[in-house]
Amino acid sequence: MIELRDIRKVFNSGKPNEFAAVQGISLSIEAGKATVLNGPSGSGKTTLLSLIGCMARPTAGRIRLFEREITSLPERFLTEIRRQTFGFIFQQFNLIKGITALENAMLPAYPLGEKFSSIKKRGLHLFELFNIASKAYSKAEWLSGGEAQRVTIVRALMNNPSVIIADEPTAHLDTKLSLEFMDILGKLKEDGKTLLLASHDPLVYESGVVDRVVNLRDGRIEGAEE
Amino acid sequence: MIFHPTVMALFAGSILVSFMILYSASYAFLILRKWDLQSGSELQLNLERKTYLISTLIGYAFAFELLSFFLYVFTADQIHTFFVGAMCAAGSLYANDYGYPTLILKLVNFLLAGIWLVLNYVDNRGYDYPLVKTKCLFFLLLVPLILLETFLQGNYFLRLNPNIITSCCGTLFSTETFVLPSAIGFFPSIPAKAAFYVTLLLTVGSGSFYSLKGKGGYLFSAASALAFAVSVLAIFSFISPYIYELPTHHCPFCILQKEYGYIGYLIYVTLLGGAIAGLSVGVLMPFRKIKSLSEILPLFQRRLAMASSTLFLVFTAIVTVRILLSDLILEGY
Repeated sequence: MIELRDIRKVFNSGKPNEFAAVQGISLSIEAGKATVLNGPSGSGKTTLLSLIGCMARPTAGRIRLFEREITSLPERFLTEIRRQTFGFIFQQFNLIKGITALENAMLPAYPLGEKFSSIKKRGLHLFELFNIASKAYSKAEWLSGGEAQRVTIVRALMNNPSVIIADEPTAHLDTKLSLEFMDILGKLKEDGKTLLLASHDPLVYESGVVDRVVNLRDGRIEGAEE
Repeated sequence: MIFHPTVMALFAGSILVSFMILYSASYAFLILRKWDLQSGSELQLNLERKTYLISTLIGYAFAFELLSFFLYVFTADQIHTFFVGAMCAAGSLYANDYGYPTLILKLVNFLLAGIWLVLNYVDNRGYDYPLVKTKCLFFLLLVPLILLETFLQGNYFLRLNPNIITSCCGTLFSTETFVLPSAIGFFPSIPAKAAFYVTLLLTVGSGSFYSLKGKGGYLFSAASALAFAVSVLAIFSFISPYIYELPTHHCPFCILQKEYGYIGYLIYVTLLGGAIAGLSVGVLMPFRKIKSLSEILPLFQRRLAMASSTLFLVFTAIVTVRILLSDLILEGY
C-alpha cells in the first residue's frame, strides 16, 4: 500500500517563476493492483510519480510506502528503497548506446554488489521470459522500438522490485506494441507486482489490466474535495 | 601581529569557522523549537533538508577545530624564535595573557567537537534523525565556546609583540617555580607511575571487556576520562623528564620539536583520540534503546571502545618504550 497525504510540490518556490506542480493530493494506491494516473500535459502525473518513486522530495506532505514513512528518510536510505522497491520504465527508453542490451538491463543491479555471474544469469532468464533472448548481445542502438521497450522492462525488473513505475510507457510505441506492452504488464500484475503508470493514452487507461484510473488536472485529483 | 603562514591560516580559518557555526546555529535553534517528524508541513520538510547542509557545515567546522589544536601548538612552537627568552611553544604562549587560555579552550573544544562528530556520525546512520535535537542542543552549547576561542586566539595573535621578553619552558615548567604546571611536576615519580599504569590498565581492560561483551560502557567511559586526566598529569610529572633525560624539565611542548623526533604529536594524537572515542561511548549509552539505532549503535560503541583501547595502548607503548630507552633514572626523585 502506498499512501499519499496532502502532497504538494512547488518548483522555484518564492521566485517569480514559482510553479505548483502538485497541489495537496491525498491518495491510497493498493498493492498488487494496476493504477493509472491520467491527465493532460502539466497535470502533475510525472511529478507525482517521481515523488512516489523517491526521485524527488515533496515540498509538503507525507508518503507512506508499505507502512514506512519515506518522505523524511535521509538520502542514503532513499537510495536503498529506489534500488530495491521500485523498477522504473521511462517515456524515453534511456538505453545507453555502445553497450549491449543485456549490459543495459544489468546496470541497476551493479550497486547492490551481487556477483556478476548471478546478475548475468538473472538477466538472461528475463530476456528469455520476454522473448528477446536473441537480442541480448545486440548493441542498444540496433534494437527496434518494441525490443528497446522490452529491454527497459527487463532493466526495471532486474532487482525484483515490488512496484513498477512507468511514465508514459507507450508514448513511442505503435498500437500493436502498446497492446503487447499492456499484456506484459498484466503478467507482472499476476506475479503480484504493484503497477503505477502515468499516461494519457486510451490504450493504457482503458486496458483491462488497469484496476483504477486517477484523473489529474492542474496538480489536483479531479473530483476531489478542495 | 606576526605574519607567519600558520598564524594567518589559523586566524582566517577561525573567523571562517565562526561564520559557519553562526549560520548553522540559526537553523539548529529553529530545529530545536520547531522539529516535528510527525508533521508533513513545509517548514518540517525544509528543516529535514537543511539538516544535511548544517551537519556538513558543522562537520567541516569541527574537523578544522580538531586540526587547529595541533596547528596552534605547532604555530606557537614555530614562532618561538621571534621572542627573546622563548625556547619552544611554552615561551610563545606566555608572550601575552591570551596564549594559555586559548590553548586550554582549544583543548576543551577539541574534545567536545570530537564527541559532536561521533554523535553526528551515529545520527546519520538512523533513518528517522534520532539524535537531531540532541546534536543541535550540544552544538548550540558549543557555539559560545568556539566564538570565545576565536576571540581569545585573535587577541593572542594580534597582541603578539616580537620585542617582548618572555619566559622559557625551563622557567615555566621547572620544579623551582610554583605555577600550577610546575606543581604537578612535584608529584613523586613512583606513585605517579603507579597511578598512570593502573588507570591505563583499567581503561584498556574495561574497553576490551566492553568491546567483547558489550557490558560496562559507563565504567569504560569514566575510566577513559580518568586515564586522559592522569596521562596529562603524567606527561608533566615523569614522561617529559624521561624523554628529555633531565629530572627538572617538565615541559609538555619541547617533545613536539625535531630534536625529540616530533614524538609529542604521536603522544598527543593517540591520547586525545583515545579520550574522544572513550568519552563518546558513554555519551552514546542513553541512546541505545532508540528503535532506529538499536541494531547499529551497540556494535558501533563496541568498535569505538576497541579503537579507544587501541589508541590508549599505543600511547602507553610509546611512553613506556621511551622510558625504558631513556638514560634517566628518576626513581626516588
